[in-house]
Amino acid sequence: MAQVPGSPDETGKHASLPWTPGDGGESALEAIQVLETYKKKDPSKVVVRFKAVGNAPIMKTNFYKITAANRFQAVIQFLRKELGWKAGDPLFTYINLAFSPAPDDTVSNLYKSFATEGHLIVNYSTTAAWG
Amino acid sequence: MSTYGTTRHHAPSAFSTPASTTLFRRLTWEGTVPLEIRVDPKELPANSDRGLECYYIQAPRVSYLPLLMPEIRRFLMDVVFDEAANKILKEEDWWFESEEGTLLKWHWPIGLIYDNHTISSSIRPSSQASTSQYSVQVNPLKLILHLASPPTEKLLLSPTAEACKQAFMGQLKEADFIRWGSTKRMTGLRKAEQDGIWEGIKEHNFDDYWRVASKVVPTTAPARTNSPPPPPSSASMHSRPPSADPQGAPDRDGAYSVRSVPVRLYLPDGPVMQDLVPPTLDDGLPHTLAHYLSTHLPLLFPQPPSSDPNLAYALIQGVLAPPESEMAWLGACMAGADGWVNVCVGIAR
Repeated sequence: MAQVPGSPDETGKHASLPWTPGDGGESALEAIQVLETYKKKDPSKVVVRFKAVGNAPIMKTNFYKITAANRFQAVIQFLRKELGWKAGDPLFTYINLAFSPAPDDTVSNLYKSFATEGHLIVNYSTTAAWG
Repeated sequence: MSTYGTTRHHAPSAFSTPASTTLFRRLTWEGTVPLEIRVDPKELPANSDRGLECYYIQAPRVSYLPLLMPEIRRFLMDVVFDEAANKILKEEDWWFESEEGTLLKWHWPIGLIYDNHTISSSIRPSSQASTSQYSVQVNPLKLILHLASPPTEKLLLSPTAEACKQAFMGQLKEADFIRWGSTKRMTGLRKAEQDGIWEGIKEHNFDDYWRVASKVVPTTAPARTNSPPPPPSSASMHSRPPSADPQGAPDRDGAYSVRSVPVRLYLPDGPVMQDLVPPTLDDGLPHTLAHYLSTHLPLLFPQPPSSDPNLAYALIQGVLAPPESEMAWLGACMAGADGWVNVCVGIAR
């Protein structure tokens, strides 16, 4: 079978274990401390641009600075508040007119992956368009 | 060697899928994890048969908790609950928690829920070192099933199969956009095909799933071409214009031509990190898992020439992935059914 480039090498020897062990307990403690630094919430804000789709009303302000660590769910709630819509009113949101992110995706992750020209485009509509 | 491509213009049909790619896709598809499901004893309805309220499932990694509900419900109704309970209980109020009190999400693949639990356990002092880096032991994931008062603000989705399908399709589209800067491969599918891919998940049928997925998921070439690597990815998010160069065509739909590989990085107890992952680096070399990890988590995976040992390990589909694995290859061969490569990082002990 031809080796497909990029597939893990099958050396078959345990000497080639990928993860070298640390020094036991000490390194585990160090690692746990490191995890705390990675858990720190990024306080920075990123620019989100809301764009109405179809019959959805256009807001006076469309550019907002949103805390990067927020989940997308918070952005939806924020938008709902800005539009003055109630919890039950239909509101569909999309990124770049392409897909609906999972509500627990963070703004930071979405921004890093999908921002254009320095902002993250969030489309909103009253009906499911690209669902 | 089986061929999954068709002659549709956007299908990766320039070459048949290499046998090793199909092998890893099948291994990923067939991966299962043991679940032990127990109704919260405080919520067991009166007259329940308490001796039997524990249910074991060997669940596919690529499936979802809402898809297991009918089976679980059947068992509980047949064996544990009495008639009166069956009448009042509402499946839409059911929700799952791990033994440690972590709320389990409906839209996470079961394999991810399992691996995430493994890495979370790696930081708890009571962990019985069951995640030794030499052999990751496989213990059943103990789930507690609650029958009422779901924390809807945290669950974010309802437990219905329909909501699960919508979330799944959303993830496929997001992955499509990550790869190509557009979702036209997904939106180009006929409705029957889009439904078919979900049916493949529901029925856990590899062929049904890949019949459609092969039109969307990039594949690996049997031998890498000698054509120059794609230009370093710029900040531009626009899809690359179609290549006029006939030599560039064979890999056009290939794993190494994507703009970025859909990857998410999970740390014990969070956060979840997502960023652009180009298939090749600026120097033209393939983007490896080692490079990805040392870029995003340099304190846990020190970059050579540092001689500091790794403080952590990475699981992909429950497997300790070799650091030389190429991200593009992982995206083509070991992604979840929703298109995403989930890298779960745990602490080495």
